[in-house]
Amino acid sequence: EAGAHCLPLPRFLQRLQAAVHYTVGCLCQEVEEDKDVRFSKQSVAAISEITFRQCEIFAKDLEMFARHAKRTTVNTEDVKLLARRSNSLLKYITQKSEELASSNMEQKEKKKKKSSAAKGERTPGEQEAAVTENEDSNMA
Amino acid sequence: PLQVLQPKTVPKRLGPSQRKPREPQVPMSLIKEIFRHFVKMPVTRDAFKIVEKCSERYFKQLSNDLEAYSHHAGRKTVEVADLEVLMRRQGLVTDKMPLNVLIERYLPLEYRKLLIPIAVGGNKVIPYK
Repeated sequence: EAGAHCLPLPRFLQRLQAAVHYTVGCLCQEVEEDKDVRFSKQSVAAISEITFRQCEIFAKDLEMFARHAKRTTVNTEDVKLLARRSNSLLKYITQKSEELASSNMEQKEKKKKKSSAAKGERTPGEQEAAVTENEDSNMA
Repeated sequence: PLQVLQPKTVPKRLGPSQRKPREPQVPMSLIKEIFRHFVKMPVTRDAFKIVEKCSERYFKQLSNDLEAYSHHAGRKTVEVADLEVLMRRQGLVTDKMPLNVLIERYLPLEYRKLLIPIAVGGNKVIPYK
């Protein structure tokens, strides 16, 4: 950990860090406008560094939680478990995940309708009918 | 210092009917002993009171967390794996510090025997899995 400062990071990590730094800068700017305060460049850099390191911890914990539930894919339950330490954070994350789940359901239903329609077109019996329909729609 | 010399007021004993069923807890003497073993420094009585309160809270949090972790794995029974996840979260178990090392370091031999399989003569491993 101590040596990490001296050694230059590998290129791909540098790029990740730059991306994090950029986003942190944007978020800080939002806060600046909202709260009427100023962030020094160093503080923005420090926040981005902290975020970068925190991601390491998050990733490890999420991996551990998924493995604990005998899964290889991290899902929202793991993320909720990660946020359990802070009640307000847990509340916020649960709310967000519910929103996501409901919007996902909507999208899935749309896709189902679309895919079922597409499948209907591909069935050999109806193929000709579908083509003619398409032609009709093209005409109209 | 003068206050210490004053006689202590002994709280009146409540009748058995009035006594509330107390929550089960780790004995104060044990907590004191463990804490004293680790601090190696005089500790005031008030500080011990706080330590007691903290340990009470610690167990509450612990049981909550273990419940969440076993539930997360689709179980209703808390297993060693849940405890290991918890201790990893607490930063006690890391890649450099496995659970078995902590067990060896902090638990007396009888308990260690129960938790860590030991190979004995006759091609046996204790405890059986």
